Amino acid sequence: MENLIIKGSHGDFFMPDINFNAESGILEISGESYLEDTAKFYAPILKWLREYIKIAHGQIIINIKLTYFNTSSSRSILDILYIIKDFEDNKGDVIVNWFYNGEDTEIEEEVEDFMIDTGLKINLIKFDEDEM
Amino acid sequence: MKDFNLYEYDKLFSKEIQISYKGPFDKHILTIIGNYIKTIIGDKQTSIKLFKIFIELAQNISYYSSSQSKANDNSGIGILAIREADNKFYLHSGNQVKAEDVFPILDKCEIINSLDREGLREYKRQQRNLPRGEKGGAHIGLIQVALTSANPLDIKVTPINDEYSFFSVTVVVNKDID
Repeated sequence: MENLIIKGSHGDFFMPDINFNAESGILEISGESYLEDTAKFYAPILKWLREYIKIAHGQIIINIKLTYFNTSSSRSILDILYIIKDFEDNKGDVIVNWFYNGEDTEIEEEVEDFMIDTGLKINLIKFDEDEM
Repeated sequence: MKDFNLYEYDKLFSKEIQISYKGPFDKHILTIIGNYIKTIIGDKQTSIKLFKIFIELAQNISYYSSSQSKANDNSGIGILAIREADNKFYLHSGNQVKAEDVFPILDKCEIINSLDREGLREYKRQQRNLPRGEKGGAHIGLIQVALTSANPLDIKVTPINDEYSFFSVTVVVNKDID
């Protein structure tokens, strides 16, 4: 399966970078996610992921490094996590890491809400902005 | 207005107003004002709160205002002002809505204002799990605004005529006193 790489945009339309590696099972979402049609942006990502979990064996590691996402994007992130949960429920091995930089005081609640909804365990990891 | 005098217009604005904008809320405007808020206003955590609230309110105007700009991808037209007073920031946003949409919005705002933080989070999770496109999409934004500001939404509806009303939301952000 081909890797899914989408270069995010940081001009007028803040869309994240997507780097999903089919071979290593490491899936990364980083940057900011708001503006534009979020559902349209995430549709091919969800499609890729649904195909991928059918053929994936071994471990999936998903690393989310979003410094900001709007509520519309959070729906799509939830959809991604539901698919990952499907994989886990079918005996897949999953690690979900959520990286945050400490400026957004609500991120712990946000991540907790994603865990409540999906039933996934999400590791909250603090990082320095310089490492982004 | 026969002789429009910009000075008279300018005098209507108080010194407390940091930013004001009226017009189409397209993505370029959102980006410019959003970046301005992130870099200019207050300390980092306060400016991030204001930025998050601004994006949700501005996107609500953009998608749901009943007055739209044909020249700008039908972006909703509305008005926004950020005011600083009494050690607080006030974010005011307003747009025209169809009279028939007023009651459902007021209903949701009443629910939002009746809930504590845990209740709001639960309400947001519940609304977020509804299929996309279902009416109520805008309310997740308002729930998030209430969560981020940690203050009730101040809602005002002014009838314009039989068909339209003016809907405005004021959100207060306390400056962090650490």
